[in-house]
Amino acid sequence: MQPMAASGGSFATPAPAPSPSLLRTHELSLVYPGGNTALAGLSVDVPRGAVGLVGANGAGKTTLFRLMLGLLFPTHGAIEVVGRTVASDPIGIRSQLGYMPEHDCLPTDQSAADFVSTFGELAGLPARAARQRASDVLDLVGLDEARFRPIGGFSTGMRQRTKLAQALVADPELLLLDEPTAGLDPVGREEMLALVERLAGFGISVLFATHLLDDVQRVCDHVVMIDGGRLVLAGPIDQLVERTGMVRVEVGGRADAVPALANALTQRGIRVKVLDQHVIDVETTGDGDEVYDAVRDQIADLGLRLYSLSSRHRSLDDLFLQEASRP
Amino acid sequence: MTIVGSTQGGAVYDRGYRPYEGRRGGRAEARWALWRLTIRRALGLRRSWRQKVMPWTLLGIVTIPAIVNVGVGYLSRDTPASDFRFITYREYVGVSAAMLLFVAVTAPDAVCPDRHDRVLPLIFSRQLTGVDYVLAKVGAIATIVFGFSVIPQLVLFVGQTLVSDNGALDYYLDNDEVLWQVPVAAALLALWYAVIAVALASLTDRRIVGGIALLGLALVTSAIAGVFIGANDGEHSIMFLVNLLALPLALRDVVFLGHLHHSSPLSGSEGAAWFAGIEYAVITVAAFALLFWRYREVDL
Repeated sequence: MQPMAASGGSFATPAPAPSPSLLRTHELSLVYPGGNTALAGLSVDVPRGAVGLVGANGAGKTTLFRLMLGLLFPTHGAIEVVGRTVASDPIGIRSQLGYMPEHDCLPTDQSAADFVSTFGELAGLPARAARQRASDVLDLVGLDEARFRPIGGFSTGMRQRTKLAQALVADPELLLLDEPTAGLDPVGREEMLALVERLAGFGISVLFATHLLDDVQRVCDHVVMIDGGRLVLAGPIDQLVERTGMVRVEVGGRADAVPALANALTQRGIRVKVLDQHVIDVETTGDGDEVYDAVRDQIADLGLRLYSLSSRHRSLDDLFLQEASRP
Repeated sequence: MTIVGSTQGGAVYDRGYRPYEGRRGGRAEARWALWRLTIRRALGLRRSWRQKVMPWTLLGIVTIPAIVNVGVGYLSRDTPASDFRFITYREYVGVSAAMLLFVAVTAPDAVCPDRHDRVLPLIFSRQLTGVDYVLAKVGAIATIVFGFSVIPQLVLFVGQTLVSDNGALDYYLDNDEVLWQVPVAAALLALWYAVIAVALASLTDRRIVGGIALLGLALVTSAIAGVFIGANDGEHSIMFLVNLLALPLALRDVVFLGHLHHSSPLSGSEGAAWFAGIEYAVITVAAFALLFWRYREVDL
């Protein structure tokens, strides 16, 4: 993800690139009439693919969705979705998007086939094509046999899949999924994640809003973390996690083994965190090999005993907590 | 397409995801779709038989006077009673309580579930705005009321034409003005019922409350008008305009006769027809304004 190269609330280079970004925002801010700031100067450039949008409740995830769908307009800044500036066609942009809300939104007296084909027609598909598409996507999400049953008799997992099917029925370029695993049991959650992963494999971009970082790490290539309407961190998950890997080192041989090792590593510009009198975490940000070599050399130089050395990648949770807690 | 499993003599195929490459409409098509889907729901089409009973029974009920009129006309052909008219085209517009009942049931059913089941965010995530939603919903209910007003009249007109003593062509030429009067009067009535009923229903997410609100409003305004008439010693009074059910009937009279019918409680009051027209316009605009305000934005 690249920082935006524009200013003044508009994009410096509005001409569409051959492969436009999934989402570009520049200094995007939204302040509600009551003075509540929902988004504050958010600038990101997210490539196509499966992208996690992470933040606690009230972080601004749903507000960002509303801005993407053209249901709200920013008080400052600009937003571009699948290569189109939302402000120039706030209604037309919705033809490219499929939205799956977090909350229950299904009429209990309708069948899944009827409901999904209804939303196909509302997306502008001819009636016959909408029915065919409804059948196809319900098959895809695993509801082929239940599609003529009333939604009122569906389990939570089936309801979530029905919501996903209606988002998919018009073949959108981008799916906006708002907490798709909320309320699901472990099996249902696993099935939903597998489904989202599969969709990404079909070339459908997904923006996956959640506060469950494990879900994002499981299915997404990129992540955007926001907190209090501000960008915390954004980038490819692999790089972020690798860049912030850690080595846990357990040493002994003398009473001040850990302080001595910590001091020596810190002097070499390596960040460490002392856990107890025998264990120390060493950050491997950047080139991990050099850090491993440095740890080995310092232990040898100090004449310490090495009991164990294990590498571990930080989870997105660690990253989020670390970045969000920075002033 | 990939083979994900096989059995003797067959194979299981994963059809995967097939992109849609057909025609895709825009906002206008979405609005038409919402209109069409609302009509379909209101008439119980593609729904269980229980949902079909109400609308089609009511259509049957409102058609009975036409059938009776045509039947009597047929039986009394070439007799002194052949001029008997059970009901006239003018009277046939908007006199049925069945119509009010129908609107009280279908208008809340058209809008309340969308709010109750929280479907509105999904609808507005398509290429639709609050204005589109209101126009489609009011348009759908108005279309059905219009149809239910005009279809019995068509039965009456065609039937009377066929059983006329003077021959079909003479009857047609003698009565051809109803071919524009009936649609215009029915359209005024349909818009009136639809916009008021949908506006009231938009204030609640419970269908029964929306229906009772419409029936209650009709009853209360009718009672208030009755009190005014009583206070005026039964004389015609312009205060009868508070009766929301009677108001479109005054406009109906103007469409058919060019003035208020002498039996109208408003007749004799100076400028009553103009006041009726102004009140019609003001209330219709106010109801639309309420609807646009109710659907101006939606929370996801």
